[in-house]
Amino acid sequence: MPLLELDGVSKRFGGLIAVNDVSLKIEKGESFGIVGPNGSGKTTLFNLISGIYRPDSGRIFFDGQEITELPPYRRAQLGIGRSFQIPRPFKGATVRENVAVGALFGTLSGKIDVDSALEIADHYIEVVGLHEKRNDEAERLTAVEKKLLELARALAMKPKLLLLDEVVAGMNPKDVDRVVDLIKRVKEEEEIAVVAMVEHVIPAVMKFAERIMVMHEGRKMVEGPTLEVLMMDEVAMVYFGESKLPGE
Amino acid sequence: MRRYVRPMIPVIILYLTLLLVGLSSESRWQPVAFIMFYIALGQALNMFLGMTGYVDFGYVAFLALGSYGMALAFSSFSSLGLWVILLGFVLAIIMSSLLSLAVGAIALRLRGAYFAIATIGVNEGFRYLVEGVRLWGGSEGIIISSTMKDIFGSDLSNYISTFVADIMVFVIGFIAAFLTVYIINSRIGYALMAVREDEDAARVMGVFATKYKIMAFAMSAIFAGLIGASAWTLKLTYVFPEDVFNITYTVEAIAIVMLGGAGTLTGPIMGGLIYGFLRYYLSTVLPGFQLLVVAPLLVLIVTIFPEGVMGYVKRKVRNTRFEKYII
Ligand SMILES: Nc1ncnc2c1ncn2[C@@H]1O[C@H](COP(=O)(O)OP(=O)(O)OP(=O)(O)O)[C@@H](O)[C@H]1O
Ligand SMILES: [Mg+2]
Repeated sequence: MPLLELDGVSKRFGGLIAVNDVSLKIEKGESFGIVGPNGSGKTTLFNLISGIYRPDSGRIFFDGQEITELPPYRRAQLGIGRSFQIPRPFKGATVRENVAVGALFGTLSGKIDVDSALEIADHYIEVVGLHEKRNDEAERLTAVEKKLLELARALAMKPKLLLLDEVVAGMNPKDVDRVVDLIKRVKEEEEIAVVAMVEHVIPAVMKFAERIMVMHEGRKMVEGPTLEVLMMDEVAMVYFGESKLPGE
Repeated sequence: MRRYVRPMIPVIILYLTLLLVGLSSESRWQPVAFIMFYIALGQALNMFLGMTGYVDFGYVAFLALGSYGMALAFSSFSSLGLWVILLGFVLAIIMSSLLSLAVGAIALRLRGAYFAIATIGVNEGFRYLVEGVRLWGGSEGIIISSTMKDIFGSDLSNYISTFVADIMVFVIGFIAAFLTVYIINSRIGYALMAVREDEDAARVMGVFATKYKIMAFAMSAIFAGLIGASAWTLKLTYVFPEDVFNITYTVEAIAIVMLGGAGTLTGPIMGGLIYGFLRYYLSTVLPGFQLLVVAPLLVLIVTIFPEGVMGYVKRKVRNTRFEKYII
């Protein structure tokens, strides 16, 4: 049984079909990448999985139960954690307080007290390398640090499935490497399935994902092992129009 | 333990100072009680407005229901003797919390601005209900002064309405402060912080936002009800709908919370102190014109300190050794 299963999921906004009949299976502990150009429906797909939107049609299953109609907080407690493309820290709160919210209300919801949550928070703050900023207000972080905070908050939820929306976008190559490495490490240690979506940073996807799906205009175009998919001509078309891959 | 005790130190100092000033001479008690009412009011509203960032334009309805709760205890259960006061507070709690649950269960599913709009009708609606169907004495209200004299005799009645009622407000405010410290440090406080800062992010992190908003709303309503029961019914010995449903108190409460610093512990105390002091003294110096002076002053203070006076102080003491004392 897959950890996450989407069965013909669609979402429209007025006349626009942002996600069109997408089916997908993610296994436990898998690393999966979603790529696709601007506006191809990646973020909308995440919003459907995390419960911000309900699909207009199709069904969603997670960890053996249907979650299509569950509110976001229930899905989070079941083990779906996510980061936002544009970081949404709790600005006035400290880094520690931000991450503690994840620990308190994620899969451990109701099982731990504030002190243990703060300990978990400290652990993941260390993991993402924000240790020195842990008592700073989140709004004073740099853009890259805010992305790391998003990651730490989601990890502190102890999710089974982690949805990362463009975490490495806007980072320099050194930071990208560091963050990809750390995601891979935590994923192995905690057996989290990670679904990361990226618009462009293809090298990061190659380094990270075993399988990827390419989205185009709301539809799933192809899905398969990462390298295979990236070599396909039609994938190059989506990204570069009529031309071939650079260098060809 | 220390995380509860240390933030209470400034609160205790402020409350004690106020109490000592009030007791120091006969003429000072009235202004102190007047100020204390606003401090307690600010603290009650802060539990909701400060913790969630949601504005309730019908807030005064909770004070009104609390004051009716106390009045109904006197008018219907006068045979209880001194216990009638306790029953009055219990009724105040029940009536204000029931209203908050009814309004909250419906309106708190809405987001900030929509909630605010939805609440505008609540207070006026309740007032028309009371006056229209002649509920609880209709527009004539409930007068408890003679019942009070029958039960307690005139000396004790006098003592209750000129001193005990004020002390009760004091106690209610102090308990509210204590509860606020507890909430801020608890799971509930983290949930409310997350909801206030970014409700969508809070939800996808597992926070059942509606539940925590309703909890904050009900707690805030209960304290408002208790204040209404003592500062209005016990102190004035009557309840008139046009007084207790007066939207001015809602506006004043919001101003106090914003002025002092929404979501902080000492903010509403400071806000109530500044606001109550200004109103009281300006009404003796410039009777009738006090709002003309208070309004621009408030605008000025809020412009200088957008996070409120104590919000500003809290930020200033961050990463210093005072940080644990100002929350
Ligand atoms: N709440 C919304 N209301 C209306 N249209 C929306 C909404 N959210 C997304 N869309 C539209 O749906 C389409 C898919 O958007 P989405 O954000 O899912 O794409 P994306 O693949 O994440 O793109 P990007 O790479 O820019 O992040 C876009 O045309 C977008 O304008
Ligand atoms: Mg996107």
